[in-house]
Amino acid sequence: METISRISSMLETARELTLEAAQSAASNRSSKVDYGSRTYSASHIKKLLDSRQEREVLDGMRRVISLMYYSEPALTFFSAVVKNAASANLEVKKLVYIYLVHHAEAEPDLALLSINAIQKSLTDQNPQVRTMALRTMSGIRVPVISQIVSLAIKRGCSDMSPHVRKAAALAIPKCYRLDPNTLPQLTGYISTLLGDSQYFVVGPAVTAFLEVCPEQIDLIHKHYRSLVKKLVDMDEWGQLATLRLLTIYARKCFPHRTQKIKQAVTAKSFYEDEQDQNDQSDGPEYEVPILDPDLELLLRACKLLLQNRNSAVIVSVVRCFFYLAPPEYLTLAVGPLVALLRSPQDMQLIALYNIVTVALKVPKPFTKYIAHFLVHANDPPHIWRLKLEILTIIFPHCGKHWKGVIISELEHFSKCTDPEMVRESVRAIGRCAQGDVATAGMCLRILLNQISSLDGNLVSESLTVIRHLIQQDSSSHTQTVIQLVTHLGITTNPDARATIIWLVGEFAGADPGHNIAPDVLRILIKGFTDETEIVKQQIVLLGAKVYLHHLLQNPSQESSEPATSALQPPANLGQEIQYEWSEGQSEEKVETDEVQQPEEVNEESEDRITLLWRYILLLARYDTSYDLRDRARLYKSLLASPSSTQLANLLLLAPKPVPHAPSPSETRKDLLLGTATLVVGQDAGIHGLRGYVNLPDWVELGQEPSASLRTEDIKPEATTLQSSMTAGERLDKALREYPSIPPRRHNGASAAGGMSGKKTLDQWLDEEEAETASETETEGETDSEEEETDSEADDSEEDDDDEDDDEEDDGDDDDEEDETDSESEAVHKEAQQLLG
Amino acid sequence: MSGEIDAVYIYDEHNAPLVEHIYRSRPPSAAAILPLYLAHAAPRPSLLYLPGTTPPVTVFSTIQSNLLFLAVSEVDTEPLLVLEFLHRVVDVLEEFVGAPLLSSKIQANYDVVAQLLHEMCDAGVVCNTEPNVLQEVVEVPSWMGKLLGGITVPGSTSTPALGTANPLKQSLATASASQGPAIPWRRSGVRHTSNELYVDIIESLSVTMAPSGRLLSALVSGTIAFTAKISGVPDLLLSLSAPGGQQALARKFELPVFHPCVRLARWRERPGELSFVPPDGRFILAGYEVDLLPIDPGLDQPPSHMEKLFLPAIVDIRKSLGPSGADFEVRLTLNTDFPGQTSSSRPTASRSGSGTSTPSFLGGGSGSSSGPVLEEVVVSVPISKYVRHITDMQASRGDAQFSHTSGLLEWRIPTTRDAGTTSGTATLRCTVSGYPSPDEDLEDSLEDEDADANLLQGYYEAPTSYDPSSNSTRKSRDPSKRKKKKKKSSKKSRTAEETGDAPGDGPSEEPVKAKTPSPNHSKPQTPQPMALAQPSSQLPAFFAPSSTPRPTPRRTKAQVNASLMPNSASVSFSVRGWLPSGIKVDSLTIDQRRSRGLGESVKPYKGVKYLCVSKRGVERRC
Repeated sequence: METISRISSMLETARELTLEAAQSAASNRSSKVDYGSRTYSASHIKKLLDSRQEREVLDGMRRVISLMYYSEPALTFFSAVVKNAASANLEVKKLVYIYLVHHAEAEPDLALLSINAIQKSLTDQNPQVRTMALRTMSGIRVPVISQIVSLAIKRGCSDMSPHVRKAAALAIPKCYRLDPNTLPQLTGYISTLLGDSQYFVVGPAVTAFLEVCPEQIDLIHKHYRSLVKKLVDMDEWGQLATLRLLTIYARKCFPHRTQKIKQAVTAKSFYEDEQDQNDQSDGPEYEVPILDPDLELLLRACKLLLQNRNSAVIVSVVRCFFYLAPPEYLTLAVGPLVALLRSPQDMQLIALYNIVTVALKVPKPFTKYIAHFLVHANDPPHIWRLKLEILTIIFPHCGKHWKGVIISELEHFSKCTDPEMVRESVRAIGRCAQGDVATAGMCLRILLNQISSLDGNLVSESLTVIRHLIQQDSSSHTQTVIQLVTHLGITTNPDARATIIWLVGEFAGADPGHNIAPDVLRILIKGFTDETEIVKQQIVLLGAKVYLHHLLQNPSQESSEPATSALQPPANLGQEIQYEWSEGQSEEKVETDEVQQPEEVNEESEDRITLLWRYILLLARYDTSYDLRDRARLYKSLLASPSSTQLANLLLLAPKPVPHAPSPSETRKDLLLGTATLVVGQDAGIHGLRGYVNLPDWVELGQEPSASLRTEDIKPEATTLQSSMTAGERLDKALREYPSIPPRRHNGASAAGGMSGKKTLDQWLDEEEAETASETETEGETDSEEEETDSEADDSEEDDDDEDDDEEDDGDDDDEEDETDSESEAVHKEAQQLLG
Repeated sequence: MSGEIDAVYIYDEHNAPLVEHIYRSRPPSAAAILPLYLAHAAPRPSLLYLPGTTPPVTVFSTIQSNLLFLAVSEVDTEPLLVLEFLHRVVDVLEEFVGAPLLSSKIQANYDVVAQLLHEMCDAGVVCNTEPNVLQEVVEVPSWMGKLLGGITVPGSTSTPALGTANPLKQSLATASASQGPAIPWRRSGVRHTSNELYVDIIESLSVTMAPSGRLLSALVSGTIAFTAKISGVPDLLLSLSAPGGQQALARKFELPVFHPCVRLARWRERPGELSFVPPDGRFILAGYEVDLLPIDPGLDQPPSHMEKLFLPAIVDIRKSLGPSGADFEVRLTLNTDFPGQTSSSRPTASRSGSGTSTPSFLGGGSGSSSGPVLEEVVVSVPISKYVRHITDMQASRGDAQFSHTSGLLEWRIPTTRDAGTTSGTATLRCTVSGYPSPDEDLEDSLEDEDADANLLQGYYEAPTSYDPSSNSTRKSRDPSKRKKKKKKSSKKSRTAEETGDAPGDGPSEEPVKAKTPSPNHSKPQTPQPMALAQPSSQLPAFFAPSSTPRPTPRRTKAQVNASLMPNSASVSFSVRGWLPSGIKVDSLTIDQRRSRGLGESVKPYKGVKYLCVSKRGVERRC
């Protein structure tokens, strides 16, 4: 959804805006000059702060805040500001509080002076003042006051104003950060607040839970259903926290059950053959997940959020469906997810990352929105890169019409001037070919056309992709290789040349019928000295391969009829001798050859290919590159004795692993949707960003907590009636009873009060005063409580530790795997480089 | 994963830190973050991970009216949450400080900004972003307040005049706060002397056209902005309609999102009816999109029947014109015959539409004109960065400018009424020139390479790299046909080369050949000895000596210029009083029965505005 500021700027004409901006720029220059005069001198501000007139104090406070933002030293006013903490003026108080929260850490002792005044405000009759006081007190980062804060939260939890209760919920994580030892008390407060009837109290309570004690999932059970019901009515930020919690909760508490469902009888005829073989089943079985009714409750509630204006909520719902729900739910959410592309560009980027991740798993539903992913000329690189990726992911799933459109789009972009874009779109064509065999031919043709382009970058990229395609299906591409050879003359791009040469060695040298490799080699050798190093390497490699093939095909005739063989071109020879060498045979040959070898050397030297090989070695030997010289030496010694080709065979002619070009985001596939780690990807390190935790696995069947825990113990009539209504309905109800107080208010007050029941305001206040009087008492009580709960906490902490260890172990395993993976990859690469 | 924001930084247009608000822990300062942020290349992604800072942070960014907004988080935080928050900060600041956000305005209102930032996010947890709620909590020292002596008078003019008495206000606040807000998005006790309601529907159009002119996609993303300045608690009903009735609207109004105030059940029941209690002030009521060109994704054939689409501006581009192929021509077709919004059943279908189309304004519109007005027509052509400059910009209307830094050729076409009718065609013809030296070097080497290519030509068709006609034939997907065509085209290209292009490049090529770089020099000679050495007929035919030893140079000036040609053009425009989707506001009524605090006699002023915007949205590939 567009933001109001962007829409406003669209409605205003551009001219008006620029005019104003220009004016202000002009005035800005002058204001920079009088900046000194606008903020008075320190002594003047101090005087204002010390003034007895509220107006002046307010003025002074405004200046102090401005100074703070100008990053001027504002700390000097600390004592003068603190004095005003007790000011009766709300405005002054607000500014003083902001100042305190910002600076208390630097001046803890002075900050403590203000605590008393703040504490007094905690019992103010104005809930706004109470809210502010609670918020400020918990925001002052001085660990000494943690117990006082905890007490203040306790009182806030049972305040009758939901705003204060909300502030209390928000204060819990702050208190925990001040002093983690307050945890047992805090979990108690969280439990109370989670049960609050006001939906905007519950949201922050959930946030607090997630931050303070996310492992104590037991606290949630009895609030689960009410949380799900309130989900729709919460504000967006509360919804986000609750969705986060409930997704984790669902994984921990609802085992993943599936049911095998036999296919309908009508489909029988299709599968008759299979049935004959497999009598006991009436058709293919489908695994259908069984939804726990409580989980279904959550999923249904989530469906209502799909029209939310907040993009983060949409992604959270998608995450919920993606990891918890059967596919039909996810299909529902795909549209709203794609709709996020209407939002400003910065959000589009994040949305695209999430879309890619979802599409990698379930590409089909996205085909409907394919038009959204067409790249525009003004898309920045990070956007079009992802759009291209999505296009290739959904490519195999759309009809021929769109396939044609996608391919021609990619072709169009492969001809643009941005080298990055060219590379990505050529690779995208390759991935399209890989994903959909039917169109592979078409893609290859397009790529082959690109080779003749003047853009060297495009050519080398195309060739790399062509190489991959050929390797994937080498048998049907011998002609393609020959066609590529014709391009050797045109391309100067070293990478492209190297790739073609390698392809020749790999695929055009083996088949004796169409052996063009020796000829290609011969032509290339002429220009050997002018080639770049990688091309030279490939030429030497090609030479080695050609020579090896020659050796493999010829050893027998060397002994039997060496004279003729030497004269005949190798291509022909290959056709004549068509038997294959099994290992046993060759070994025998080796033995016999060894005896004859010395006599044959002379004759063999006349062989053209051998001559060619020697010539290459000679050329390489005096090359300036030591790497090339080394390689040549390696091949030389490998192929030194024409009879023992086994090792060379293993090294040079080993079948190469078929390269598979994965979608670039394939590496992010397992990262959790909606997280920053998903966007950052590999750069975030192996465990993701700090605080990144993947979803827990589904709980084992039988390990899950009993569903009966989730039954609410509060009398349900009022609440269910009320919460089953949507906000709109409730609003209607509220309005109908206007101007009498809406029913929700009653509920809010009574539930919050808990023990207070239906007291009047005065009674309530009286009691509050009494409470303050007996504060010390309660403090003592809580201390003892704390001791009791400490032991429990220790236990749970130990548990936590264990779990942590497990996690770490897992992580280590991953590390190792990754390492080995990367190692093997490196080996592969090296081998490939060596062998070609 | 969490939802924590450590700090919000705002920088002014010169990237000097303007606001630095820290919510929790000790993130790196604004001054420390900025160079690391700027270190990334220019179009910066909205999420950056900076591992170099202590502690390592993720930085979320958005840019609004030249101000840079950064949010910093140490832990993994939902990126969209943070970005949404930043956008809300922008919205709220605009509301409190004044519409185009300017650094001077922010500096002048630091205390308000501080209160807002403090209120919107509590210790890193976003907690309160509703502008109406913030209005109750944060007070703006308005000009009125200053007149009255700087004592807290509620900043918004709409609140009842309470005088300067704080206690009274506090007691009011007490009442509302203790009960919790009845409506979380609307502040209580709204009073307006003049009651006004405005609906603005803005649709932004994005159309992609293939080089052939065929439409690939046409999407509209629409937003309904609403301004409510109305006393009490009004309950409004906004009904929308589209040509084709309610069913058509339900189909058209795709993927809607709504402000929380909209009753979703009502919408689901009767699509097109938005029933809501609005917040006070300006807000986005709903967003939607319309696919003007729905194509079934599973379709195998190109859609046989396509709805005709009316576009007020269409751009076409022809390139590689002129003797050396250095010219290109942009052709813009403007059409202000907006299809009648009132009469025709499908707005997009009938081009004939009655000329007297009138935008439907409820209770008197805000626009002065009677028909839709096409304005701000700009054609943008992205130009390759290898282009040095563009000479000879000849526009039949308007004026064109090429900015090298942005790589964009912008052509503005005036559409004022006095200039006569806006409809018609305008053309712009330009000549490009590239950078001379590096290109010519490239030319040499390539030209030499081409010699080899021709040697192999007898066997496989020689690549006819630059000839556009051959390129287009190659696209044909039938492999058997392709071969034949290619042969033809290759011949064609060769003749073209000899006849047409040779004179053109003759003089320019001469000096170039002289300084041919040595490394490639031996290449053209390779084929000959090879051919002699291996006359065997068993060899593939491409080694046959028949090929010409020294072919004509292939990379001509035209080729060089072809690589400098733009490959797309797009047009921006705005139309007041017309929507491509044809969606209209049918009625806007106040449900008197459900509304409170609004006198029966009050008839608020209602206004509707339609606006179609295309920001480089109509794009033509070529």
